[in-house]
Amino acid sequence: MVQGLVRLTLLAVLLLSGCAVTPPAEKAEPVTADTELQGSPAMALLSRAEQARAQGETGAASRYLERALTMAPNSSWLYRELALLRLEEGDGHAAEGFAQRALRLAPDNDDYRAELWELVAAARAEQGDRSGADEARARAQALRQPDRA
Amino acid sequence: MAKNAKKPASARKGSARRPAKSGNKRNNRSAGRRWFSWRFIAKVSVVLLVLAAAGLAYLDAYVRDRFDSHVWQLPARVYARPVELYPGRVLARNDMLKMLELMRYRRAGGAPTPGSYTTDGNTLVIHTRGFRDSDGGEPAQRIRVTLGGGQISALDSNDGDSLARLEPLQIGSIHPGHTEDRVFVPLDRVPPLLVQMLLATEDRDFYEHHGVSPRGLARAMVANVKAGGLVQGGSTLTQQLVKNFWLTQDRTLARKLVEMPMAVLLELHYSKEQILEAYLNEVYLGQDGKRAIHGMGLGAQFYFGRPLEELEPHQLATLVALLKGPSYYDPRRNPERSLARRNTVLKVALEEGALSDQEYRRFRERDLEVVPRGASPLYAFPAFIDLVRRQLARDYPADVLGEEGLRIHSTLDVLAQLASEKALSEHLNSLDASGDALNGAVVVVAPAQGDVLALVGSRESRAQGFNRALDATRPMGSLVKPVVMLTALQRPKRYSLATPVADEPITVPLTTGKKWTPQNFDGESKGPIPLVDALAYSRNQATVRLGMDVGPDAVVRTLSQLGVKKTVPAYPSILLGSIGMTPFEVAMLYQPLATGGFATPLRSITDVLDKDGEPLARYPVDTEEVIDSGPAYLIQWGMQQVVEKGTARSARSVLPADLKVAGKTGTSDEYRDAWFAGFSGNHLSVVWVGRDNNENARVTGSSGALPVWSRLMAGLPQTSLSQVPPPGVEEVWMDPSGEKTSGKGCSGAREYPMLEASIPEQSDGCGSATQVKEGVVEWFKGWFD
Repeated sequence: MVQGLVRLTLLAVLLLSGCAVTPPAEKAEPVTADTELQGSPAMALLSRAEQARAQGETGAASRYLERALTMAPNSSWLYRELALLRLEEGDGHAAEGFAQRALRLAPDNDDYRAELWELVAAARAEQGDRSGADEARARAQALRQPDRA
Repeated sequence: MAKNAKKPASARKGSARRPAKSGNKRNNRSAGRRWFSWRFIAKVSVVLLVLAAAGLAYLDAYVRDRFDSHVWQLPARVYARPVELYPGRVLARNDMLKMLELMRYRRAGGAPTPGSYTTDGNTLVIHTRGFRDSDGGEPAQRIRVTLGGGQISALDSNDGDSLARLEPLQIGSIHPGHTEDRVFVPLDRVPPLLVQMLLATEDRDFYEHHGVSPRGLARAMVANVKAGGLVQGGSTLTQQLVKNFWLTQDRTLARKLVEMPMAVLLELHYSKEQILEAYLNEVYLGQDGKRAIHGMGLGAQFYFGRPLEELEPHQLATLVALLKGPSYYDPRRNPERSLARRNTVLKVALEEGALSDQEYRRFRERDLEVVPRGASPLYAFPAFIDLVRRQLARDYPADVLGEEGLRIHSTLDVLAQLASEKALSEHLNSLDASGDALNGAVVVVAPAQGDVLALVGSRESRAQGFNRALDATRPMGSLVKPVVMLTALQRPKRYSLATPVADEPITVPLTTGKKWTPQNFDGESKGPIPLVDALAYSRNQATVRLGMDVGPDAVVRTLSQLGVKKTVPAYPSILLGSIGMTPFEVAMLYQPLATGGFATPLRSITDVLDKDGEPLARYPVDTEEVIDSGPAYLIQWGMQQVVEKGTARSARSVLPADLKVAGKTGTSDEYRDAWFAGFSGNHLSVVWVGRDNNENARVTGSSGALPVWSRLMAGLPQTSLSQVPPPGVEEVWMDPSGEKTSGKGCSGAREYPMLEASIPEQSDGCGSATQVKEGVVEWFKGWFD
């Protein structure tokens, strides 16, 4: 609340002074595997995981991702991938947990966060939790359209 | 297929004999009336022959049935997690070499074969062994690993991914029902030289005879007469197999009588290759306590610590030498006899042309090179294997574990395990040199995946017996304080880390009619202190006041939120940790604290594969958010203060200066138990020290358990705890009362992370702009990051 007020004030100051700084409302750079894991050996495991998943070998994919996690334990992207995988395997419980963990580690990017909330919604729906899914979807919406929220 | 085709054949044989005998009967009808008349003899013969035929038919069915359906008794094998190598991995050169030695990699120029390596300064060339896993596993390949600055600085492998794994080290086998152990090796993976040596010494006519060898017998008799005693047995390999396979070891006449026909029957139904393979995997090669060593595959591991395929000629010869008498020629107990017999085997191999003259002379000179018996990693980690066994027993019946050769991939990190054992034993030795009073336990977990990386159940880590890590239920003492504080922090409108709590005498009336008056450790009372200080300095009176305020039942609910399954009565005494917990249970309780609120079941197994390496079952990571991000962050921050300035600050001098860790000391009444539980970004470790008889151990959490924890953590590759607050948490300067906001530099002001709902509206009027300035800096950083 306080922070919001500060930001607004400062933004006004900056605009008035004609300073050419990108306003924070503008979208941040999209989050991808590259932005999260570039240069990490986990990247190689991530791409092996993707291949395995494409071939329907979810068990192997899961193992690759779990190995990657030991190399990059704070990567939101890896948790997101695990959430997608568990969802594919029909394990909504773990999918929700991983999606929330991805959210906890997520960089400050509304689109990315919104996508993760959608994932939480899907995972909740998979577990039959309709109201929980709706709530998660609403949070995704709010992130996508901050003005209307 | 051969089974069905051959059955009628043997039946025909049996019936074909009968008409011939009935012919005899007729011819002998007139032959006298003596009591041993020919007729009588004929009758007896017929009966005997019929019996013999029936017996033969029975034996035949018996032999084939057992051979075809014989399940090699292959105990489940437990493996450590494969050592993962990649640039950036923290790994000291010494640790790398220790690992290679433990895995019996041999030093050889150019690392020519799997299982060998060579060093050149900080660069190691390792020829890995390769293995199968649920992700396909790893091929055997030559990799180049460069170490520098305590980590891997470069890695070249065949696939160019800069990633490689060493095969998982076998750390145990599980055979509940019986005591036979073996490693099955198919014939095509048996070194041909071994087969040549075996046949040359044990059964030269193997490929010519039909189960029994009159030539071999004759040769043996000649040799025995010459030597004036029993020097050769004359049994064929087939007969020896029959002995090993079907018959008990006692030398009864009945056994002798059936051995030969069984050998012949076996040869009738099975190829020489099948018989040879069975022999190589069945033969008894020695005893390891209660465990019987069967087959060349396990023999290679038991005596040389390596796979059969990697043995050199003199080692193969030692195995062949054992066949004459596994205990008489035991290379460990009777090295001279073993060496002499081994050289005889090498000589025979030379005579048979299996070895060149040069090779013979070279290998004759080699030592026996057996590995010391105690050195086997199979017995090194009994406490962890105990955990694996318990987790397996929930999913697999005993016979499956004992017979099907399951490959259990566990989570054990050998280096973390060795570091834990060392830290515990060294510290206890320094406290109690006599070695009989204090004992302890350690649990190390990777909190994100819930992987149990190390488990020490005793000061003597190799000792079987009481597994303190899993079975010593002891009062957790102050380890419960973070749970009490978390209960309060989950009510942000009432409590924050800055909330003043009175560290003053308190008397709690109990339902029993008695009264409880808890004291502080130092016997003093500090008066009102911020909630976080009650945690950092482990103040009992402040904690009990806070706990009575939120209610013991609310604390019990938080315990169950964190995953505690057992029923905890909501007595006031739980606020100071009267709850009994094992070190393993404490690790479970602290795991969600370490991950910022995500509960993940602890696992010791990742995969189960069948004996051929095909995946059977997976134990995937599961996770669930159990504590909201805000309170989870706050309690972690509070626990960091324990190490930064509180009861665990002595750890700071042992750990790297920039490493952010958090934890809590615990000491139970009358110094019976010393605890420390704490975590970095990637390791959660719990240490307990105390006495088995529950007497005063004269140690506190700080003096007894914390030094073990810090040394152990300092020895592991660490990442810091994240310092980024989640949304909804702000850094706020508070005045000394903890009830008004303040500003940086204001008198007595302290900065706390706070949930928005906790931030008071009231300010002390000093420098409130500081907070805004901080916000701006963050905001700018956000733009440029």
